[in-house]
Amino acid sequence: MSDHIVKSYDRDLEALGRRIAEMGGVAEKMLAEAMDALSTFDVDLAHRVVSSDPRLDALQREIEENAILTIARRQPLAVDLRECIAAIRISGDIERVGDLAKNIAKRTLKIVSEARVPRAIVGLKSMHEIAAMQLKDALDAYALRDTERARAVWQNDSDLDALEDSVFRDLLTFMMEDPRNISFCTHLLFCSKNLERIGDHTTNISETVVYLVTGESMPTERPKSRIPDFGVKDEAAQ
Amino acid sequence: MNAAAQTPKELPTKISVRSLDFYYGADRSLKNITMPLHTNKVTAFIGPSGCGKSTLLRVLNRMYDLYPGQRAEGEVLLDGENILDPVIDLNALRARVGMIFQKPTPFPMSIYENIAFGIRLYEKLSRADLDARVEAALRGAALWDEVKDKLQTSGLGLSGGQQQRLCIARSVAVQPEVILFDEPCSALDPISTAKVEELIDELTNRYTIAIVTHNMQQAVRVSDYTAFMYLGELVEFGGTDDVFNKPKEKRTLDYITGRFG
Repeated sequence: MSDHIVKSYDRDLEALGRRIAEMGGVAEKMLAEAMDALSTFDVDLAHRVVSSDPRLDALQREIEENAILTIARRQPLAVDLRECIAAIRISGDIERVGDLAKNIAKRTLKIVSEARVPRAIVGLKSMHEIAAMQLKDALDAYALRDTERARAVWQNDSDLDALEDSVFRDLLTFMMEDPRNISFCTHLLFCSKNLERIGDHTTNISETVVYLVTGESMPTERPKSRIPDFGVKDEAAQ
Repeated sequence: MNAAAQTPKELPTKISVRSLDFYYGADRSLKNITMPLHTNKVTAFIGPSGCGKSTLLRVLNRMYDLYPGQRAEGEVLLDGENILDPVIDLNALRARVGMIFQKPTPFPMSIYENIAFGIRLYEKLSRADLDARVEAALRGAALWDEVKDKLQTSGLGLSGGQQQRLCIARSVAVQPEVILFDEPCSALDPISTAKVEELIDELTNRYTIAIVTHNMQQAVRVSDYTAFMYLGELVEFGGTDDVFNKPKEKRTLDYITGRFG
């Protein structure tokens, strides 16, 4: 939303939006490359993901500083204030997405030498497809100030949770089949947790978009997964 | 819009403005204003210059009566009594509804007399009672500690911020029920502004307050309710948090976010 009497105010807010878009691009690329590296056991690619992270951290700091400066300088109200707060929140969520992608890359580097049950990665790929799609939709919703799309992302997170439960059961099975799989599968278990967390941050972003546009907060309770989860998720959420 | 309809029933209303029109000669400068001032709450009037917010404030204690050719139509009920009624005793009304102006207006007399003068107009008090009332008023305006040792010096010798608080003390001294602030901080430095705002915050427990301000942040800080006016109309009235976070009217949003053309 532009058209302030003070034009530089518009430029400040637009700059925040552009930096968020840039962060989103970096994080999406990190996530895609981390999953590629995991699927193909590509060490170089995994290293590249790890080395991308500082860029994301630097961008987040820049956004935070600029948002705080804008608040101090312009004393924004209503939607303008929410623009600044949203930029701080969303940059934090994207930064965490980057961290989680980096963690997948680091685990890839650890398990490369003992790649045991490649089929164990199939479920993770499905999780990644959903997580990447959700992340893209959330970032688009932010760019377009599209609350409908944001609400859809928020609704769909339960799919990722359900899939994580099924991946959990699969990995458990592989570990029971052969204890030599345990180290490998445990790393994958953490990777699936990372993907599920990425979904949570994506949901946070979509909540922030709704707040930004409407000034209303989403309900604190998200839709629950349709598949029974053996109580594992609830405990983890405590 | 109907502002009264948005107000929860249980909130007591000190002043109820109903279908108020105001004319400067032939110019209609307030158009069908209907809004409440809730008891012991702070209501801010905001809007661009010329929108009628100061005019509205001046209607609330009939200040406009001092000028020829100005008239108000409609009703302004103070505790249910229409103060626009010609039979109203204006001195008594202005004792109940005090006013603080943009520029501090101390009388050219001692600090003590600035306060005592108004009290003597309405009441006959013994010397001791008068002293006590003056002290209470100065304490009430958070000025006592700064002036207690120089009560007999001229009020004009005080700083701008102190003068403004002296005017507030003068207003409080006659024990009003409503205090109207017309841009009370626009001539003050930030420290004095903060002191006046702190004072408004304290006064709100005992008085119903209306404040006209161009400083949006000040309206957010000090008020419970906000009325946004434009071209003589009440565009939006509501809780301050709502008006400044998610205003219903686009004109309000444009104004508070600095998008007004």
